[in-house]
Amino acid sequence: MAFSSMTFLFAFLPAAVVCYFLLPAKWRTARNGCLLLFSLAFYAWGGVRLLPLLALSVGISYVGGRLAAPGRPRARAAMAAAVALHVVLLGYFKYTGFFLENLAALGLSVSVPKILLPAGISFYTFQGIAYVVDVYRGTVPAERSAARLALFMVFFPQLLQGPILRYQDMAADLTARRETAADATAGAIRFCFGLAKKVLLADALGQIADGAFAAGGRLTVGLAWLGALAYTLQLYFDFSGYTDMALGLGRVFGFRLPENFDYPYVSRSATEFWRRWHRTLSFWFRDYVYIPLGGNRCSRRRQVFNLLVVWMLTGLWHGSAWNFVLWGLYYAALLMGEKFLWGKRLERLPGAVRHVYAMVLVTVGWVLFRSADLGQVGQMVSAMFGAAPGGAWSGEAAYYVRQYAWELVLAIPAALPVKDWLAARLEARRAAGSRAAVTLTWGVGLLAFALLGWSVVRILSTGVQSFLYFQF
Amino acid sequence: MERNFQRAFLAVVLAVLLAVPAGVALWSHRETSAYYENRALAERPALTWAGLWDGTFGSELESWYSDHAPGRTTLLKWDTAVQMEVLRRPVVNGIVLDAGDVLVPFLEYQEYTPVAYSSTVGPIAEEFAKLDAHVEANGGSFYFVGFPEQRVYFQDAFPGYLNSHEDEAAAADAIFREALEAEGVAFLDMREVYDGLGHPADFYSAVDHHYNYYGAYAAYRAILDALTADGWDVPVLTEEDLTFQELPNPYIGSRNRKLYNLWPNEDRAIIAAQAAPVPFTRYDNGTRTDKPLFVLPAAEDLPTTYDLYMGGDFGETILDTGRPELPDVLVFGDSFTNALETLLYASFDEMHALDLRHYTEKTLKDYITDYQPDIVLCVMNDTFYYTPTGNGDVWPGP
Repeated sequence: MAFSSMTFLFAFLPAAVVCYFLLPAKWRTARNGCLLLFSLAFYAWGGVRLLPLLALSVGISYVGGRLAAPGRPRARAAMAAAVALHVVLLGYFKYTGFFLENLAALGLSVSVPKILLPAGISFYTFQGIAYVVDVYRGTVPAERSAARLALFMVFFPQLLQGPILRYQDMAADLTARRETAADATAGAIRFCFGLAKKVLLADALGQIADGAFAAGGRLTVGLAWLGALAYTLQLYFDFSGYTDMALGLGRVFGFRLPENFDYPYVSRSATEFWRRWHRTLSFWFRDYVYIPLGGNRCSRRRQVFNLLVVWMLTGLWHGSAWNFVLWGLYYAALLMGEKFLWGKRLERLPGAVRHVYAMVLVTVGWVLFRSADLGQVGQMVSAMFGAAPGGAWSGEAAYYVRQYAWELVLAIPAALPVKDWLAARLEARRAAGSRAAVTLTWGVGLLAFALLGWSVVRILSTGVQSFLYFQF
Repeated sequence: MERNFQRAFLAVVLAVLLAVPAGVALWSHRETSAYYENRALAERPALTWAGLWDGTFGSELESWYSDHAPGRTTLLKWDTAVQMEVLRRPVVNGIVLDAGDVLVPFLEYQEYTPVAYSSTVGPIAEEFAKLDAHVEANGGSFYFVGFPEQRVYFQDAFPGYLNSHEDEAAAADAIFREALEAEGVAFLDMREVYDGLGHPADFYSAVDHHYNYYGAYAAYRAILDALTADGWDVPVLTEEDLTFQELPNPYIGSRNRKLYNLWPNEDRAIIAAQAAPVPFTRYDNGTRTDKPLFVLPAAEDLPTTYDLYMGGDFGETILDTGRPELPDVLVFGDSFTNALETLLYASFDEMHALDLRHYTEKTLKDYITDYQPDIVLCVMNDTFYYTPTGNGDVWPGP
């Protein structure tokens, strides 16, 4: 079920909120049970057939955690077994087809089965692995309650697209959170803004990206850049919009989920970009792959190897296709270059130049990410840098600029920390006793409400557009 | 004050979230179709285990729930107005607003090549050749009457940055015509006729995908000229026999309907009164009816549509003028026939009109065998030339 669907907004969500808040606050277990049931229903909406795999993943995590706790005999083996089972499940559903397709491409006689990728499997598998490893390391105690662990893994606001939680992010809130009107209001407002980012900006910008990436022989330099930039913005608003909705919903129910984005498009290097983009995934790979491999505390050759492994896995985590592998290796090369080769010189350049440097690299990176195959990667990148079959500019590019002028104009400030700056100014004035500032807080609520209404109208008009990260 | 705001905000949001399902529960049964979108609304899906298991129930319920949201049509109309008047988008709901005095559809930039058309036209032309031979074997003559659709007629109105598919349409039309003529089918190309008359702008509607009555009359005269040239002696409604009049009613065309009729225009439907009306007896789908040639709204302020001509599309319509000395005509084709029928019938003893999208009683071949018409006309606009279904399905089977 997508957050931007009518059934979620006007059936599931009010039902979940009403049922949850009708239960007395002191009945914490009942409230958790209510959230668990609604989370399972949320997941099952895409097909009840998906539930057994989710239950199996929760079961592996629960049993693995119990057996891998420090002091238990063969804890290491239990941890390794649980991690291996998670990896096998993820590997089977996500990579079997890719693996067999490549064998077939090499001339081997293999049939490629059609395996449906269960929604959210990449996210809940990583949460399960993180939990078992953290229990083994003694970072968190093994959870005795299977229901609480299940809620951690299937909590519907973040089940399908993250943020990827570690148990310590949620453990305290599972037993001792406090829901307040202030949190619920802030959460609801954030949800509305997130919905608007997705429906009003990302979906419109996606039209440009879809057109440009499908242009083929009509590609011009302008259209290629326009499509690449539109996709750069679409992906940010789509994914960060979902995260805003997830964090907002979490806050309504009293949970403080970790931030996933920190205005990545203000970055001045590829390294900084990855500190700001999909942070919970970066932290996951850092804590559960990079550091166990030796991290930075090893020879340069080993560091290079570690980075290559981490970034190839990051690419493959996003999708089972060679362009994702290429995308991962692209970032491995950039990060290694900034770490070992040109990082210091880069820091001496003016901020604007570094920003342009980072944005060009990030935009090219998203072209690798968005392309259907390596052929399209070559087509788009060569068009961006002058070798376009259609020349420099076309009516098609002009149409997209005219048709989506509002979105293109609004997307720039919306991707920058303008909102945070305004909020800080407002808060400072309110703290100083300005009545106008107090009134403006109503304005934020009214704006959120208006954005909710407008988003719903657009959903009615254009239908539900899937979130881009659902495919991962 | 802040606490008051929080409580008020949460109360309003929750009220809205609860009001929508309440509205759907109360009113979802009231409407079954979306007039402006020209489609049926989704029906409530049956709750089945199979649907729950594979998730199709969820997606079907979403369609139904969205279609039956309270105030949906009003909200979509407001949204259209905002897109048109506030955001000033050049294309809204698939209609180009930047094409001067006419509304044309937005067309994708992707084009089919002449090679693609050439590779598909053969079997279509063969079917028409079989039909032509069958008509001749039953004592009649067959003519294909091709029209440019409104977007093709007004292709010069497309702004330069959009693709009017001008070259593609010209190539596709020429390939189609050549293929039919190569098979010996008589082809009356109205694009050529209209161009010969100076390509008048008032032959086509500004807000609808059809021509208007002036265009229909010019086509009627061209068809009768062709029949006369082939030796048929039929009476002709001349301009002196007709009084053209513009109806005062607002005209909702298929293009403007997609814009919730919000595009300001002065386009009006046109009809013509015969100085000495040719009387007829009419049958629709086998049932006698008193329906007139022009079905007009009850009041001048009520809107009208292209359906005013003959009352819209029917599987079979027969107009019998009781003049056995004249030949009989069978017309089949898309809705371009409707306006034409109001004129054609006056030149024949009987006019049978079929719309093969709706007529299912017999095949066209059997219909011709049974009816033995003197003249058979296929009336089709060029966007349907390569469509092998509906009125393009002229020879089912071998």
